[in-house]
Amino acid sequence: MTSASREHRLNAAFVMVADSLTDDYDVVDLLHTLVSECTEIVNVQAGGLLLLDADGELQVVASTTESAELVEVLQLAAGAGPCLDCFATGEQVSVPDVAAAARWPAFQEEALRRGFRSVHAIPLRLRGDTIGTMNLFGTSVGALSARDASAAQALADVATISILQQRVSAHAQLIAEQLQRALDSRVLIEQAKGAVAQVNGTSMDESFTLLRRYARDRNLSLHALAEAITNRSLPISALTTSHEDVRMSSRRPAARKQE
Amino acid sequence: MTDAFYTGSGAPPAGIPEWEWGDDLCAPFVELLPVSGASISVLRRDGDATTVCTSDALAQRLDAMQFALGEGPRWVVARTAKPSFSADVARESHPDWPVFGAGLPTLGVSALFAFPILTGPVLLGVVDLYRRSPGALDRDATARALSLARRVAAPAVREAMRAAADEGSPEAKRHSLRREVHQAVGMVFVQLDVTTAEALELLRAYAFSTGRPLEDVALDVVDRALDFRDLPG
Repeated sequence: MTSASREHRLNAAFVMVADSLTDDYDVVDLLHTLVSECTEIVNVQAGGLLLLDADGELQVVASTTESAELVEVLQLAAGAGPCLDCFATGEQVSVPDVAAAARWPAFQEEALRRGFRSVHAIPLRLRGDTIGTMNLFGTSVGALSARDASAAQALADVATISILQQRVSAHAQLIAEQLQRALDSRVLIEQAKGAVAQVNGTSMDESFTLLRRYARDRNLSLHALAEAITNRSLPISALTTSHEDVRMSSRRPAARKQE
Repeated sequence: MTDAFYTGSGAPPAGIPEWEWGDDLCAPFVELLPVSGASISVLRRDGDATTVCTSDALAQRLDAMQFALGEGPRWVVARTAKPSFSADVARESHPDWPVFGAGLPTLGVSALFAFPILTGPVLLGVVDLYRRSPGALDRDATARALSLARRVAAPAVREAMRAAADEGSPEAKRHSLRREVHQAVGMVFVQLDVTTAEALELLRAYAFSTGRPLEDVALDVVDRALDFRDLPG
């Protein structure tokens, strides 16, 4: 790759990641593109990205080839190899000659068998936290130049920001949904209480007791019952007329329900 | 001000004091900012809001007005997720909230500020601040308000969810979750055989036309002093 085209490609990669911070995007697509661009820019033959999952395991999230060979090598390296060391220390780990890397025998054997003679592992980190590693594999012996190592680290850094932002966003969405659900439930239940109180001439507390009893007898959540009443798919008269039948005929064991 | 200024990071900027979040989520806004009072609301779908706290009677009044009228700085923030600043409500025009704005001078409110409560990119609620005297919030106060608004997100959500799950404790009755309004909706829904959305609109319209707060009308309905079947038209 010429110097000019390398620069161009590197700039294009940064622009793509910057765009992803503001647009709707798929983070896995982004990571695939990042790892393949990085591999091309620093002129290695394969690359893969490992991320820590919720259970504390390093998982292969993206790689330049789906082939089992690379994935297996990555997984071995995540168990005991340069990728794990990189993750544990938060520092780049360079293995210019895999044949000399006797400290990881299983990884070494597999990597050599697949034709990978050199490895370079780059940490994905932000403010002291390492969330994974970007791992570059060469078919010839030799370390990355300082310039290439630096470019790879810069790409890894922006990838990290992107991943973390997507997680914050997903987490925030989840919280917002749970909140809406709780608030909606409360509104529906109060509306249903009012409706029952109007029809039966009862107090709000008595109405609530009626709703709760009906819900328990039929293994319904209060939310679902209130919804059925307020959209008129269940007539309020059903709450009083069928209670006696259910009480006499039901042998249902008590069950815990979501409210 | 750029977007980066608004989105910020999790850590408070240097110079902004930490706050131990106790029961009163409004307190830090009143203690640490040059304002007279505050209220915090959490947004529901359908343009509704649940009030988590109000610092004083006037804050409560302003909160109730914005809810009843469906207009006010809070709703602008709810749409835009950007802060709203009115340093001198008497002198400024308010194309977004003409009716709400017209009622402010008699209440003695001279300045209003509203800040989005954000978690990541998601807007969860609004902090409404008022002051009895006019005057803008300076840069430091604005940064402080934005930071506090971000940090109140988790406690406000927890409080709103806790209150929503609470069925009958005395605290549940004290919280301004407007239970009577929703109960009244249920009653009118039956009385007039309309949808719950229509019932709410009818209650709002009646409150507006009689110049009474929506909560008071709702109480009358729940106490059976007011039956919508008796109303003309």
